Amino acid sequence: MNSLNFNIDFGYLEGLVRGFKSGIVKQADYLNLMQCETLDDLKLHLQSTDYGNFLSNEPSPLQVSIIDDKIREKLVIEFEHMRTQSVVPLSTFLDYITYGYMIDNIVLLITGTLHQHTISELIPKCHPLGSFEQMEALSIASTLLELYNAVLVDTPLAPYFIDCISEQDIDELNIEIIRNTLYRAYLEDFYKFCQTLGSTTADYMSEVLAFEADRRAITITINSFGTELTKDDRATLFPRCGKLFPEGHSALVRADDYEHVRAVAEFYSEYRILFEESGNNPTEKTLEDKFFEHEVMLMKKAFLEQFHFGIFYAYVKLKEQENRNIVWIAECVAQRHQTRIDGYIPIF
Amino acid sequence: MSGKDMISVFPSRMALTLMRGRLRGAQKGHSLLKKKSDALTIKFRGILKKIIETKTMMGDVMREAAFTMAEAKFAMGDFNNLVLQNTDKAQLKVKTKRDNVAGVNLPVFEAFHDGSDAYEYTGLARGGQQIDRIKKNFAKAVTLLIDLASLQSSFVILDEVIKVTNRRVNAIEHVIIPRIERTLSYIISELDEREREEFFRMKKLQGKKALARAAAERNRNTSEEQYGPAASLLDRERDEDLLFD
Repeated sequence: MNSLNFNIDFGYLEGLVRGFKSGIVKQADYLNLMQCETLDDLKLHLQSTDYGNFLSNEPSPLQVSIIDDKIREKLVIEFEHMRTQSVVPLSTFLDYITYGYMIDNIVLLITGTLHQHTISELIPKCHPLGSFEQMEALSIASTLLELYNAVLVDTPLAPYFIDCISEQDIDELNIEIIRNTLYRAYLEDFYKFCQTLGSTTADYMSEVLAFEADRRAITITINSFGTELTKDDRATLFPRCGKLFPEGHSALVRADDYEHVRAVAEFYSEYRILFEESGNNPTEKTLEDKFFEHEVMLMKKAFLEQFHFGIFYAYVKLKEQENRNIVWIAECVAQRHQTRIDGYIPIF
Repeated sequence: MSGKDMISVFPSRMALTLMRGRLRGAQKGHSLLKKKSDALTIKFRGILKKIIETKTMMGDVMREAAFTMAEAKFAMGDFNNLVLQNTDKAQLKVKTKRDNVAGVNLPVFEAFHDGSDAYEYTGLARGGQQIDRIKKNFAKAVTLLIDLASLQSSFVILDEVIKVTNRRVNAIEHVIIPRIERTLSYIISELDEREREEFFRMKKLQGKKALARAAAERNRNTSEEQYGPAASLLDRERDEDLLFD
């Protein structure tokens, strides 16, 4: 796959994605949205963006959750269109993007099933990008082990389960630990896949996935202070890729508080900057915000190069960030809490 | 003044003492009830002030908590459904205690934690700090709600009791005591009248007696004139009837 042959199979979709990308909400639009007093104002302003009349059929009064659902629906429609039009290897790449959402859905369904909630109530709550055929069948199992043997073994996520969890653990582990272990296997798998795609895609995606892995490692470490998560368990949740692997990880495993983590990050220039500009006071940006900003910056870089699959991944991530931004502004408007309304992450 | 009712009783000194006793009893009861009513009213006002404070604080805390929810959604995506699915039994429970204020039993609700935090690992990889904050904020909101609940139930109960007590105080002050006082004054007036009648009777009797004495005196005087002075056995002059002296 090189610049010569790329357009044969993927030219249409690259053009499509670039079109979608130019429709992402700009800074000027965000400024307009911030001036709104009510949600109906917001709806009016959104009509002038790429979203158009997506809210026109909703009965008033508008609610933030409806806006959220509609925005997500738009992204899903666009993504599904691209997915159906694509061929191998782009189709596999797009599938990998959906596995992340699939993991969230499976965790939700498992939790619900274990607490005896019916599947029909759980299905609408799943993320549409992460749906898979065996979703309906999850109701037949009652313990996690049965669930795995009967259903999950047929999903594309089966190898992730095998990788990390043995039979005895599966019933006892906390669902969040399972989620993080699955996600780690997923990241490592995705990373390996991208390496096989060669040239620009491999370069770009390696950097992106490395950042994702490091971000998860740092966040898990910081959030595990004060919980009962042991240091060994913590180590099993770090994905084995990224700049922090392996020395950074062993240092993080030994860390006991925020300052230690900051000291570990000092060795890596990008992360040092993120830690320096963040803090826990209400006026400063939090570390999460700085991570989001860095992610957005990385995603924007994808569009500066041509003939690689990174633009699809970047597009999905940027649309998600836009979704979060608009929902944040909508919540501030709805709750009349104007002080922090500029807490969104600017994209373009 | 409505009705000249008083307790119907035969006016006697015994009844007077009894009535006086009752009056004293009623007055003592009145002052005790008034003290109780005052104590309850003070507590009532205190509770009212606390309710107003708590309600305004509640508004702020709820707003804060809702905003933290928005922040957490921003950092972590939609975790609402996951949390809902995972709920098993309540982690924050409420105990009731009875508090005694001036004889009134007021319920007091106390919150206590039952079991460890089931959502310790939520947001482990994303948004954990916001989840922490949201847990704290909503816990604060719930404890505030519980306080507000106990305050409001005490408020309603106290209101009722104060009304009843005040009714009793007023009843004693405006009905019972005047009735007893009227009875007392009636008894006293009856007794006085009897005494006057008695006095008048005495006076009349004395007048009659004086007349009778005067008449007897006159009769005595007239008999003395007729028969001379009566001989007295006690005179030591020679008695003619004695032969040998």
